Parts: sequence; structure tokens; C-alpha cells
Amino acid sequence: MPTPVVIPRINNNDDVVKLSRLFLEPGAPVKRGDLLAEIETDKANFEIEAESEGFILRIERGIGEICDVGSTLLWLGASVDEPMPDAPTKTPSAIGVTTQTPSLKALLLLKHYGVDASAVPATGDRLSADDVEAYARSRSLSSNSQPQNVQSPPPSEAGRTQALSPQERGMLRTVTWHRDEAVAGYIELPYDPKEWEQFAATFQQQHRLMMSPLLSLMAWQLTRVAARYPKLNATIANQQLYLYDNVNLGFTVQSGELLLMPVVRAAQALDAPAFVETLGGLQRQAMKLALKPEEASGATVAFTSMARWGVSRHTPILPPHTAFMVAHSAPTPTQAILGATYDHRVLTGFDVARALREIVKPPDA
Amino acid sequence: MELKTLTRASAPSEAGLQVLPAEPFARDAHGKPEIPLTAQAVYQYGSLIRAAEKTLLDLFTQGALSGTTHTCLGQELCQMAVVRALHQPVDAIVSNHRNHGHFLTYSGDFRGLLAEIMGREGGVCGGIGGSQHLAFRNFHSNGVQAGMTANAVGQALARKLRGVSSGVNNVVAIIVGDGTMGEGLLYESLNLAAIWQLPVLFVVENNRIAQTTLTADTVAGSIRARGEAFGLSTWQLDDAAPDFLQQVEHVVEQVRSSSRAGMLVIDTIRLGPHSKGDDARSDEEMRVIRQRDPLAALGLLLEPAQKNEIDEQVTAFIGEALKQASASPESTSYLPGRTLFHHAPATTPIPYAHRTGNVRASLNHALDEMLSKHSDVILLGEDLHEPYGGAFKVTSGLSAKYPERVISTPISEAGITGAGIGLALAGWKPVVEIMFADFITLTLDQLYNHAVKFPGMFPHAAVPLVLRTPAGGRRGYGPTHSQCPESLACAVPGLTVLFPSHRHASSSLLQRAVLNWPYPTVFFEHKLVYGLKEDAGDYEIVPAHADDAAADLFPLLRSGSSRPDITLIAYGHSLTIAETAAETLRAEELSVEILAPSLLSPLQVNTFLAALKGRERIIIIEEAPTPFAWGAELAARLHEAGFTGAIRRVGAPPIPVPAARSLEQSVLPQPADVITAVMDLLIR
Repeated sequence: MPTPVVIPRINNNDDVVKLSRLFLEPGAPVKRGDLLAEIETDKANFEIEAESEGFILRIERGIGEICDVGSTLLWLGASVDEPMPDAPTKTPSAIGVTTQTPSLKALLLLKHYGVDASAVPATGDRLSADDVEAYARSRSLSSNSQPQNVQSPPPSEAGRTQALSPQERGMLRTVTWHRDEAVAGYIELPYDPKEWEQFAATFQQQHRLMMSPLLSLMAWQLTRVAARYPKLNATIANQQLYLYDNVNLGFTVQSGELLLMPVVRAAQALDAPAFVETLGGLQRQAMKLALKPEEASGATVAFTSMARWGVSRHTPILPPHTAFMVAHSAPTPTQAILGATYDHRVLTGFDVARALREIVKPPDA
Repeated sequence: MELKTLTRASAPSEAGLQVLPAEPFARDAHGKPEIPLTAQAVYQYGSLIRAAEKTLLDLFTQGALSGTTHTCLGQELCQMAVVRALHQPVDAIVSNHRNHGHFLTYSGDFRGLLAEIMGREGGVCGGIGGSQHLAFRNFHSNGVQAGMTANAVGQALARKLRGVSSGVNNVVAIIVGDGTMGEGLLYESLNLAAIWQLPVLFVVENNRIAQTTLTADTVAGSIRARGEAFGLSTWQLDDAAPDFLQQVEHVVEQVRSSSRAGMLVIDTIRLGPHSKGDDARSDEEMRVIRQRDPLAALGLLLEPAQKNEIDEQVTAFIGEALKQASASPESTSYLPGRTLFHHAPATTPIPYAHRTGNVRASLNHALDEMLSKHSDVILLGEDLHEPYGGAFKVTSGLSAKYPERVISTPISEAGITGAGIGLALAGWKPVVEIMFADFITLTLDQLYNHAVKFPGMFPHAAVPLVLRTPAGGRRGYGPTHSQCPESLACAVPGLTVLFPSHRHASSSLLQRAVLNWPYPTVFFEHKLVYGLKEDAGDYEIVPAHADDAAADLFPLLRSGSSRPDITLIAYGHSLTIAETAAETLRAEELSVEILAPSLLSPLQVNTFLAALKGRERIIIIEEAPTPFAWGAELAARLHEAGFTGAIRRVGAPPIPVPAARSLEQSVLPQPADVITAVMDLLIR
């Protein structure tokens, strides 16, 4: 088995040395005590001798190179044709950027143009800045203005200013988009919640779930309906209808005082158990404030519930670039209400009513 | 180098020596009061001091003074004796909070002292120092008990080194009280004075009480034995003895002729309170003390008529001094621009030029060249001598070439810093090496209460001290040998703080700090930067803004895109972290700019603002713990100046730096932390 000869430490405080000479070449036989190399610091030179006999298999460093103390200088083997161990593979993820995501510059431009990454075709392994720029040119996109910074001066009454957290800035962006871009309407439909409750109870028993999957299943049903009626899964961009390829389901989660929206991407491809599991995982991450950027952005339709707080009806605010958001509320003993906010530029009341009628029924009913 | 005079509205300057028309004493050729050894003359001068002290207490009672004062009532002869035996202009006196008798015996400036404590422009320090902080020629006093003892050692070292060539033996007297026996720096100073064989006289005014606590309750063993333990010649005298002043004169001459350190313990008794009304001694005790009063005893030796005449003279003279002090306007002006730095840029600063080797060799060259060309440059530090050459070998080879001026010291960080300050006050350019930056905590009183105070508090005082120290971790040295404590140094008002990188011309920066910048400076050197090649790479110098003190001498560097998506700001070894992160960010198609300051304090905010105009995202990278670090100050100052870009800081958490490599890596900032911060900025 090949043995490495490492760069030795010459001085306590020198972590690197310079390789000044090599005395032998690969393939050369070596006897114990033979000079292999000379290294130097700015204070001293030092010769490296072979501590065992063998053959030089490979030299890892070049003359003049600055080498870390403890790194491999060369390999010795028992025979000249002894196989070398595989070189260790580099782990590119060490620095926290993976090749699965758009480049950081592409992310910056996506934000700049207000475009979701899933809408932009990548020409290479990952989405690049050029891809986004080309996409923006093809659709004559201009810069997505930041949320209208309300530059009104502070009120005259005494008070103090407090900076917004990133999550709070996100909410500001959302409500400002809703106000400035969408033409929002609201529709609600009464329904009997018993069927859904029964369906959820059976599902919970079958899949041995700790928590009731009711809301997750209703959200999953929303993704079915959205896949069936593409306009539910669309928005308006540059005076044109923009139909999303994937159904990305945003689901509101309250974490402490923060309102977050984890997103199940490409939900149309998930069956009910997979969807429930995926959403559950994202909800747990959201509660820990540990969502990755791509897990907290890019919703194309959304679902929210205020049943937990006994709220009987509410009008949700549309997330940016969505046209349909379902509002679940606390049922009364006699009936329940399912509502939806919608972007009237994309959908009519009929579209929304039809969708709601399909969502209030569980799949088997 | 040109050093502008500090221009206070009415700088006392040598006008501090203000001779009143009817001075009842003579002065020698150098302007020092002459006090012949006659009962009449000694009684007269002691009475002048006592009258001045009583006047001050009266003014306090009347509410005419603010602040505090410490009078030497009862100790007048004790305070006169040593100072009287020293010579202007060659000898030096270093005093403490109870200093009026010393100052008046040295200067004869009664009006200047009264005006100073009254807070008047005509005060000897323009009202800045007040009672405890006085300076005049070679007289300096300060308000931290043992704080000035090492300073005195440095002043004595300066005199000894010059005296060797000139053949003149000068003496430095450091005067403390018995209460000072409780502070450790005193013992560092005694040791330094003894091993360096310096002409320092440690004078302990043993009034047997420290503020209100009896010395018997706080000082173990014998005071005199402390001097003997360090091998000093020691004397113990009683200021009530008839020949006390003659004996003191004899002691001073012995120190002068032997050129060795000595300790003189003077038994005395304080007649007044510690300060104003804080005297807890009983009436009976005070009655006994008053009976001992050496000044009153001297008066009894005089003819009554003669004594009355002197008393009247004294009353009239101090009355006139008070009148004139009162006529001086209240102090209203202080350091224009509210900054210490009134440095006119050197007409020819040391050229800024990179060297070809690594940073360690560059710094070594800088020291070698300065020692060779400038006889006033001197190096102090632990283990500097050959063949060791310092813990990180920056001084390698120098002690052999300049044995008198490359001095290996005891492990006394505060002591050698104080000695450096004393050398600087005496006109030298000292470079003090603290072996690990973690240990600058031990020097902080010297930096905080001494080095930076003198230039702002004393007219004409320059302290061109440079304290070099290796900082930082990533070597596994563990919690007390791995820190970046620059935020401590930056928090010292008036301290200049440098932390260059391998991209800077380290040699030029160190030489400029020593030769071109006359203010106390801490020069941090990261341990991992020593071995890096000094290489400007593609960095360019950012033009220094004219309003930023020192920015022209210690440049801010810049590299990368001029229209960046991200600007990274890093100094010291953190610059390598920034550069590694920048490679990744560029692979992510982002345009990146790096700014690398060498000057941390004073903060070159105008230079930064100009360089950061239009920048949207900044990451400040530091190895130091993030809370209260330099980056926080930079961010705050940029924000206050109207900078609207987003700022993130990357640094270490406020926990000990672990020794284990894996743990140390997890605590100290890595390139991945920079990427995380960038991603946070991009998706916010």
C-alpha cells in the first residue's frame, strides 16, 4: 500500500514551507536515508530523507510551491507499479452553494425582475444570470420596483421608529403587491365539513399520523383543482396572462408573532401521502425559522386557515404573482365557510366558485 | 516630520512659568525656586504651599471650585525635600494625585496651580488637568496610583542611554504614597529599574493612611523591605527630623552618583483630609498629629517678629496669586475639532513600497532599517534576544546588531508599556512588542489612562509609542492566545489602531507609525499573515479624504468591480477569508469588490463613504467577536452619514476561541459564513 511522505514542521510558528528542491523522480528506487527533497522557511532550509525503502510513485508538489505543513509531498510504494489510492473527491458543498440552485447573480436578477426561477429556462446545468437576462429581454421585463417605500413622514404624535425584520419586510412586499398589482375580489361558499372531517380521520388512521391531516389534505385538493384549471395557477405579467408550469402551493404558518409561507413546489406531482408529508416537513422548518430561500418563495396558489383561532371568516391577502388563495375558517356546529381571494384580472367569480365547489368535497365524495 | 503645536485658545505653554511681581523667593538660572537650607527659607516656602492648599480648601467651601483636590497639608516638608534636591532642566519628577507640594517646589507657579484647579485658561494645563494631572517641563503627575511608576522607569532609561554618551547622570524621582503598595505595577517597575540599573528614586510618602483606611490594615510587612527585596539601596527618613532636608539631598546625590535605583521611605503625617471633607480620624488623634506638625515646629525656631513678617508676606503673595488666577477667564476652549490628532501630514512620509518576501521579513526589515537610521528608535519586548529573536521571529537578528536598543524584558506587559510611554515622553521612539495580543489587557491602564491622556491633557506632550502585537487564532493556541482584541484598543479614545494585511506594504506602515505619526498606536499583526507573501495583487490605494486623520499614512486598499453586487470589507487575516469567499461569489456570477483598511481607528469614515458611494450591499468580515466590534462602529458611522446600502457583519461569536482545530474552525469566521451573509442580503 502506498505510503505518503508529508511536509514536516520545521518551526513552531511556520504553518507553510517552500519546496526548494526535489532529488528524485517518479519511478526512482529509494533507500532508507536517501535525500528526497529540500524545503525552506524564511529562516532555515531542511532536507527530507526517506524513512523507508521503496519506489517513488507520485510527487504531489512542484518546486517553488508553498506547501502546508502536514500535506502530502509524495507517495512511496513497495513496487514501481503499485496502484495509487483514488484521489479524494472535492466536496463542492463546503461553502454552502449547491449547483441545484440558480447562481447567486441569477437569484439577484430574478428578484430584480420579480420573476420566479421556475419560469426561466436554464441553458446549462444551473440557472445563470444570462438565462434570466435573456428571459427578461424576451418578455420586455423591467425592474421589479421594490415595495413602494412609503416615504410619508412619521406622524406628528410622539413615537419611535423600529426597523422591520426580513419576514416583516416580506409581508410589506406582499400586501403592497396585493394593493398595487392585483385587482382583488373575495367569494365564499358554505359547505358541510363532516365529509372532510371523516375523510381526514380515515386518512389519519390509515397513515398513523399524530396530527389531523385535514388542512393539508384540503390544500392538496386545491393543488388538484389548480392543475385542472390552469388559470387558477397563473398571474398577469406585462399585460399578458402568465401560466405557471408547476403548481407551487403556499401554506401560511404562524411561528410566534411571524407569519411565514412555506411552499410545496411542483405539488401536482405529489399524491396525498407525499404531499402531506412534504408540507408537514416544511411546516416544522418554518416553525424553527429554518426555511431555505427556495422553500419560502415562489408560491403560485395558496391556502390559509384561521380555524385554530376560532375565526369564522377572513379575507386573505394574495401573495405576489398569485391569482387564487383559499381561506379556511372555523366551522360552526351547523355549517362551515370556505372563502377565496382572487385576482380579478385573471379569474372571474364563476372560476372561483367552481373551484371552491370542487375543493369543499374530499376526493372520494 | 512636522508636529503642529496643540493650539488651545490660550495654551499655557512656557507661559506656565508665570512670575508674579513680588515673589518672596529667588529662582535659579533655570527658573526653579531656590530654597536654601535655612529654617527661615524652608519655613517660608512650606508656608506658601500650606497657604495655597488652605486657599483651595476655602474655595471649595465657598463653592467656587468643582471637582476634587488632594492637599498636602502637614506634608509640605516631605513634598518639598526630594523635589528641592533635583535639578531643572535635567532631572524629572513623576508624581501622583497628591502633587501640589511637588509641583510648586518644581515650578514656583502658585498662580498657575490655583488657576488650574479653578478651571481657568491661565491654569498650568489650561484647566484640563485640574488638581491631579499636572505637567510642566519634566514634571508630570497623573491620577492612577502606581500608574506612573513604569513611566518613570522609561524616562530614566532614556536618560541612562543618553547619559552613557554624555557622561551626565540624571535622576528621575517617582513619588507615590503608602497606599500605592497595593498595586502590582509598582513591583514591575521596581524590578525593571533594578535589572536595568536605572537612576530612579522611588519615594514613598508614608503618611500611614490611604484615603480613610489605615496603612497598618492594608500593607503587610515592611515598606522599606520591598525596596530591599529588589536589591535597591533604601533609606527611611522622618520629615520631622531637624536635618530631614539635608538627608534627602544626600540620598538624591547618592542615587545620582551611583546611577542605580533606590527607595526612600519618608515617614510623614497628613494633617488634612484625603480630599476635602473625607477625614474619619478622631479629634484626639488629630490633636496628636497637629502637635507633630514639622512646618509649625520650624516656625517656632524663628524669632516671632521674623515669623510674623514671613506669614504676612505669604498671605499677601497667595492673595495676589488668587486674585490673578481669578482674573483669568473660565476655560472654554479645548482641542479644536474635538480630536487629539492635529498632525500636519509629513512633508515626506516614508515611501509606501512593498517588499518581495513575506510579511514577517518585511516587518523585520522595517525595524532593522529604523534602528540603523534613527538612534532614537528602541525596541522593548519579551524574548527578543538572539538566537530566539522573539516568539514570532519578527525581531530576529536585531538584538545582535543593536544590543543597547533591542531589550528583552521581564514578563511585565504593563511595565514595559509604561516604560515605553516614559521613553516617548523623553523624546524617544519606542516600539514595544507584546508577545500575544491577548495580553494587551494587561497594558490597558497604561494605554487608556496614560498614553492617550498626555497628548490631550498636557501642553507639548507627544507620545509616539508603537505597541506591536501578534493577534488572532487558527493556530489552535486556545482561548487566551488566539484572540483579536482590536475592539478593546479601538474603544480607547485617542488610540490609533492599525491592523494591516498581506496586501499592504507592512514595512512602510510600521515605519510610518513609528516615524511619521506622533501618537500612541497599537499595531496588530495576525499570526497567519506573517508567513504570507507581501503582495499588493490587484489592489489599489483608495485616495484618503483630507478630513480623515492618518488616512493618508495608512491606506485603505480596494480591488475588484467598481460596480459591485457585493462589497466585502476585511482587515488583517480576514482579508484572506474575504478573498476566498470572493472567488466563490464570482463563480456565482456576482461582481465583487473588496476593501481592505489598515487603519481601524481613528475611523476614516469620509474615505469609506467616498469609496462606498452607490454600493448596495456590504459585508464586514472580522475575526473578532461581532458584538461591539470595529464593524459595528463602521456600520453605525456609515448609517449616520447617510449611507443607505444594506450591511451585514460576519465575525466570531462572543465565546472563548477553542484549541481543538475542529472547534476553532467552527467558531472563527469561514468563507462559507461570508456566502451565507451574502445570500441573506440577496434574498431579503
